[in-house]
Amino acid sequence: MTTAPLALQGVRILDLSQVAVGPYCTLLLGYMGAEVIKVESISRMDQTRGEARPTGNGGNYPGGIPGEQPWNRSVFYVNRNPNKLSLTLDLNEPRGRELLLDLATKCDAVVENFRATVMDRLGLGYQVFAEANPKLVYLKISSQGATGPEMGYGSMGYTLEQTGGLASVTGYTEGEPLITNQTVPDPIVGILGVGALVAGLRLARKTGKGTFVDLAQREATVSMLGEYLLDYSLNHRVAGVIGNRHRTTALQGCYPCLGTDMWLALTVSSDAEWHSLCQAMGQPHLAKDSRFQTALSRRQNQDDLDTIISAWTKERDHKQAMHMLQAHGVPAGAVLKGSETVVDPHLVDRFWDVLDHPDVGKYKQSSPPWRLSKTPRRRAIPSSRLGQHNKYVLVDLLGLSEQEVSQLEEEGIIGTKPIDE
Amino acid sequence: MPGRNGVLSDLTILDLSQDVAGPYCTKLLAGLGAEVIKVEPPGLGDASRKAGPFLRDDPSPETSTAFLYLNTDKKGITLDITTETGAVLLRQLAKQCDVLVESFAPGYLERLGLGYAQLESLNPGLVYTSVTPFGQTGPYRDYKGSDIVAQAVGGMMYTIGMPDKPPLKIGGDVGLYTAGISAFSGTMLAIFARDTLGYGQHVDVSAMEAMALADIHSAIRFEMRGDDGARRESNLLHAKDGWVSPGLETGVADDTWPGICKLIGKPKLATDPKFNTKQARRQNQPEMLKIIGDWVATQPKESVYHAFQALRTVSGYVATVEDLFTSKQLAERKFFQPINHSVAGKAMYPRLPFTLEGMSQTTAAAPRLGEHNTEIYCGRLGYPARDLVALRNAGVI
Repeated sequence: MTTAPLALQGVRILDLSQVAVGPYCTLLLGYMGAEVIKVESISRMDQTRGEARPTGNGGNYPGGIPGEQPWNRSVFYVNRNPNKLSLTLDLNEPRGRELLLDLATKCDAVVENFRATVMDRLGLGYQVFAEANPKLVYLKISSQGATGPEMGYGSMGYTLEQTGGLASVTGYTEGEPLITNQTVPDPIVGILGVGALVAGLRLARKTGKGTFVDLAQREATVSMLGEYLLDYSLNHRVAGVIGNRHRTTALQGCYPCLGTDMWLALTVSSDAEWHSLCQAMGQPHLAKDSRFQTALSRRQNQDDLDTIISAWTKERDHKQAMHMLQAHGVPAGAVLKGSETVVDPHLVDRFWDVLDHPDVGKYKQSSPPWRLSKTPRRRAIPSSRLGQHNKYVLVDLLGLSEQEVSQLEEEGIIGTKPIDE
Repeated sequence: MPGRNGVLSDLTILDLSQDVAGPYCTKLLAGLGAEVIKVEPPGLGDASRKAGPFLRDDPSPETSTAFLYLNTDKKGITLDITTETGAVLLRQLAKQCDVLVESFAPGYLERLGLGYAQLESLNPGLVYTSVTPFGQTGPYRDYKGSDIVAQAVGGMMYTIGMPDKPPLKIGGDVGLYTAGISAFSGTMLAIFARDTLGYGQHVDVSAMEAMALADIHSAIRFEMRGDDGARRESNLLHAKDGWVSPGLETGVADDTWPGICKLIGKPKLATDPKFNTKQARRQNQPEMLKIIGDWVATQPKESVYHAFQALRTVSGYVATVEDLFTSKQLAERKFFQPINHSVAGKAMYPRLPFTLEGMSQTTAAAPRLGEHNTEIYCGRLGYPARDLVALRNAGVI
């Protein structure tokens, strides 16, 4: 068997990122062949690893069971951190920082997603890295960007939806914006971070010099509202919420189906699609109904249409309705729950990687949203245990002796178990 | 046009894509300095020219805000690729280009002799990116999509919205933009691989998978905990002029509480036994949030946001589109920049969503339909001007 080359073969990434947006980015970089070394410390692990001795109801752990090393099996840590090696280093100690900068000389890029001020406080800002390795590409993902009066502000996915304008156009009723509870900007900006980092790597290849890439989650979120921004700039109109309806003339909605809390979403943008919908519902006479003959009149009479469509969907399984409408050429999709996406035949065919994780067992792992025909993603490697690759990094890459490593362990600069506070 | 020091200033990109996802991908590539040649069907142009909203609500192919935004920094030509002549011209262009981006239904370009395998034989270095609702393979490959369909089938939508109402889509076209962002990152990876390996490849991007990856909770929760999650009530609070979240839902730290009491004009609460320990605050959380909420209701949203951030709580405020234009943070970072379009006039556009040190960005307006026909067909492919007339008469351009 010949192995296909990897897009990021030979690229080594120092990953200081935590929680969601940065880990999502480096998860994808790892899939494409980069060697990602994730740095945490035994006193400050990635927050998604949870507490050393969890006090809650076990909700963060598979089956509700924290196990002996809960930090190695928390759900969100495991899901966001495949394809990475794990190194612990106490960055509050001078020796820890020194080793980090040594490691930076062996890497092509750094990814971090701290508040703008955190790295500077540790004495580890971009300038310090650039001095250690002038070829280094430094991707800083932050909520507000690396500059500006709000650069030190903290954020969560749901506050970014607010400050990034997304919440103002999400909701059912005018004047009542909603957040998604899905922390939308984190994964999306993580996906964008891949392209931004590769841009930096390509620039470094061209110029022989590293660069600083400043990716603000808020700005990336605002950038998805382009037409609304120009509508304001040109027409002084402030967009509001329109529920599940379409911004322009299409008929669009989310309709109840057979069963509890089952739904179908559809969009009808053209007369042809409208005729197909009437055919699919077995009501061809509707196509001639003057209330619904044009895109404009369908829009005007959408409440009536919603009633008609709902009456049809209510009798049907949401997935069967989707396949039936699609067979007629109508853009329709079942609103899939988590339990349904993981067994969906299309996603099973293309998307899920079945992983056998030593501390978790078998589960389905999400993968990149792109497929590259000649440099495909590699098979995912399960998330690492805390400090699992300390020896590889310190001995094989940095040339420390086993003795020095033991010394670091004794001093608490590295380790494999969190300090139990 | 972006300066020659751009990341991609050595590359030419042929953009056959329409609507949101593909054009957003090529907008980002253009922003990094690539020369992007956008190919539109004669007469109608890109579907987003019809999408609006329009300048002064007066529909015209040159004043659709969706088109104007999604196509900055590109050159525009018209070409009917369904004609034999059009397909020949496209092949000539594809031979000279480094990247092609398209968003047609799978198999459509193959039938025109313009599929990846066909163009690869002419130009092995070509990176060929297809961004579609469901991708090039798999049982749903021929299904049609839309923003709401992507959000639905990707597992994103089910948990969004209120428990007593239908699932709610994220506003705007986030599903399609995410597909575009995925196409951008996938294309950048293929360009990088081409630099190393010397050959191009087919990049297959699906909106359903972009949403399935962006679903950060539902699938993994089911895999590991066996539950599907649920839609939940909103925790936004009403401020005087809009909505905020003070960021107190997960509890208030001991050193933050006195500051909050002072902020809301009730300093005595700091020592009130009902609230003076973390545990007490947790026990009496509804009452605490009510007291804070009563104060918030009297304050402007943006000042609540800043005041709570100053107390190191992770607060937010619901910025409307108008608020974005007055945000000091975005202004100081020069996020909005003026661009003048010959028909639509001057407007403020967001710059690229990330910046690279040492790379200057100037942005050009979206092209008018067929604006660069002469430059590309005569200048680049070397056809004499009289041939353009013949092509126009034949409906090819």
